[in-house]
Order: sequence, then C-alpha cells, then structure tokens
Amino acid sequence: MSCENVQERISLLLDRKLPARERESMLAHIGACRACGTRFEMMQNQVAMVRGLDQPAIPPQLAARLSVLASHECERTLARASLLARLQCWAARVDLAFDNLMRPVALPFTGGVLSTLLIFTLLVPSLSFSHDIRGREFYTAPAGKMVTNPWDQVADADDDFPRIETPTTAPSDYYNVVDMKIDETGRVVDWSVVRGELTPDMKSIIMLGRFQPATEFGVPTQGTIRVVQSCASATVRG
Amino acid sequence: MATSILDLRSDRASEGAAADNLRLVEGLRTGAGWAYEELIALFQQPVYALAMRLLDDPAESSDVVQEVFLKVFRNIGNFHGKSTLRTWIYRITVNEAHNARRWFFRHRRREVELDSDPEEARNWKEIIPDNGRTPYDVVLDSEQRAAIEAALGRISPIFREAVVLRDITDLSYEEIAAVLAVSLGTVKSRILRGREALREELAGSLKPRPALRLMPETAEKMS
Ligand SMILES: [Zn+2]
Repeated sequence: MSCENVQERISLLLDRKLPARERESMLAHIGACRACGTRFEMMQNQVAMVRGLDQPAIPPQLAARLSVLASHECERTLARASLLARLQCWAARVDLAFDNLMRPVALPFTGGVLSTLLIFTLLVPSLSFSHDIRGREFYTAPAGKMVTNPWDQVADADDDFPRIETPTTAPSDYYNVVDMKIDETGRVVDWSVVRGELTPDMKSIIMLGRFQPATEFGVPTQGTIRVVQSCASATVRG
Repeated sequence: MATSILDLRSDRASEGAAADNLRLVEGLRTGAGWAYEELIALFQQPVYALAMRLLDDPAESSDVVQEVFLKVFRNIGNFHGKSTLRTWIYRITVNEAHNARRWFFRHRRREVELDSDPEEARNWKEIIPDNGRTPYDVVLDSEQRAAIEAALGRISPIFREAVVLRDITDLSYEEIAAVLAVSLGTVKSRILRGREALREELAGSLKPRPALRLMPETAEKMS
C-alpha cells in the first residue's frame, strides 16, 4: 500500500469502514511509516476534538414552544383520528369547563376561577371550545382583512399575494390552501394545511397577522378563515 | 499506537430501540399525549444541536427546530419505517436547514466574526453534560473549542454537513446516506474531504501540543 493510498483511507479506518484485511495492512503501514503514522494521529485527534465539542443547549423558550406545539398537534391528531376519541376528549373538557363555570359565584372563588380560565385560555388556546355555528344569523365570520399587515407592500399590487376567503370555498389545484383558526382577540391560534403547503407569506400571517374576530351575539369569539396563495409564488421547499 | 480509540464505538442500534420507535410512531399516529412528549424529549436537543452546527444562529436554529417538529407531527402518517425514525427526523432537519437563509450566507459571515472574541461570541451556549455519547471523552480547552468551531464554519457547507452528521450527531455512514439522500460512496468522500479540509483549516490555528487528555478508563480499554 502506498502512502497516498493509506492517507486516503485514514478516515475510513477511524470509522471502522474497512474490510479486515485492508485494515491490517493499513495498521501495519501506519506502524512502520512515520509520515502516515503522524497523519493518522493528527486525524484521530481531530476527530476526537470535533466529537468533544459541547452541544449547544436548547433555549428554554424554544423548549416551552415545542411542548405547546406538541400538545396542539396531539389534539389535532386526536381530532382527526376518530370521532369517538374526539367526542370523549371534548366531553371531558366541557365537563371541566362547566365544573368551573357552575361554581357559585362566591367572592373568594371568583378570582381563582377567573384566573384559572384566563390562564387556561392563554396557554392552550385551542382547548377553548369552538362555536361551530357558522351560517346562523347571530354569528359573523372573522373579517377578511388584517388589522396589521405583516408586509410593507400594498396587497393589491401583487397577484401572488395570499387571499383571505371563507373556509367554504372549494380549494383549487393551483393554490396552497391553509385554514387558520382566529381567536377572539384576532390572533391565529391554530392552522391546518388543506392543500399544498404553508408558504412563507402564510407563516408571516400566522405569526404577525391580526384579524377582526368573529362575533357571536356581538361578542368576539373564535372563527376560521381560509388563506389561499398561488403555488407559483411559494418558495420551493424540500 | 496503531489501535484507533474510535474502534471502541459501540453499536447502539438494537432491536429494543426499533421496537421503541414503532411504539412511539404508533402513539403519534393515534394522538397519544405521551408519544408527543416523548418525541420532543428525545429529539429536541439533538435536532437543535444539529441545526446550530449547520446554521450557527440560535434564532434561525429555533425556527428550524419548530418547523421540523411540526413537519414530523403532521407527516408521521407518511413515515413507513423504511428508514429509522431518527434518520427520518434528521433528514427533515437538514432539509429545513437548507431552506434557512443563513445556510447560504454563513460562510462569509463566519470569516468576519473570527476577529471578535470567541468567548463573547459564544455567550448563548450553556455547557451541558454530554452524557456518555462517546466512549472517548476528550476535554477541550476554550482555545481548542473556538478553533474547531471556527474551522468547521469555514469549510464548505456540504462537507461540514457530512462531518457534523458523522462526528457530532453520531450517525453511521448508512444513516448519513439516507439523511442526505446520497450514495454511500458520496458519504465516504464527503466525510474524507470534510476532515481533510478541517485539518487544513486547523493547521494554522492550533499549536502542536499534547492536546488531548483522554479519560483514564478509556485509555485502559485501548489496549
Ligand atoms: Zn506511509
């Protein structure tokens, strides 16, 4: 084996990717040849040093966001998995909510109950039950205009700009279609991709968009909008 | 001296792990809360570490990690067990990192940053114990660490990716081939060229010295 051959294979030797016989002759050469021996030691040290680098620890905020994401997604899967599971799951929640609501409005309890409900709603927005009574007179859909526009440009200037529609419109083949759940404060709390994919623009809407919330008897409540964007405008993603 | 300490790597791919994977995947599909928590607990740290080594930016890495888990949860129905769960997850991670803007810009930025104080530049990092990831723990001083990280940042992203997956994420060549969707031969060549490039980068920056302090128990096992 020539020195060149040996040096080309040091990486494979370190990773135990050589057949036994080749490995033996490599080791024999490395033991005898000073240049290759030095090179081998250097490479071995270098690999050990790369492996010895400390792992960057996950930031606590990210960990918190991931666990919220996990619970949202778990819920979403449950909702799709089976109607039965979904009903059981929601029945339990309704019980819990009613337990809280039906407590006597005795003063010592009120504060606790209200703050519990508030925290409950803030932390797990998708757990608050949705008032799925679209189409009735006393219910208004979320207004299809954003109070805060995440872009600097004028929406009308661009055909590829995401459009906001009601979820009843049939998804077209050439569009990415994402339904977003808008809570009573007008923020996007959950979304699902109906077809295509989540485009960067849609992500901006999820993160930055603010809507006029739907109302029920004039009181702000949850509702769903459909965001549609031409596939041509989306960045191609792996 | 010819015996590689790396020969002691234990093969950890066991049937037990495969069975756990199946259980986990099934749990995710049926919407079991424990499965969602367990997947996050198992993979959030390695996925974040991989993203950080590829992008070197905490904010962008955090975005990538969230996107990865969203994709994993939403596409678990498309996971058919042709690869292992972790290979699949790392594949999504690498793809998401490729989509991140910084992947393309990092190279130049890294060179600019070299002039700044390496300790200060690494404020974000809390050192966490690396629980027995490898049987050959080494203790790096801050200068070595900074030199290696800087050198990793300077080599071509394609080679860095291969080296990081091999030596930091600790994947086998076969797993790396699956993660990068390239042939085994390409993996071998990228790791080799990545390590060679790293050696050239390090040649100027690291003074020759008895650099590594191997842990005593590791040293004993070497013979
Ligand atoms: Zn030689």
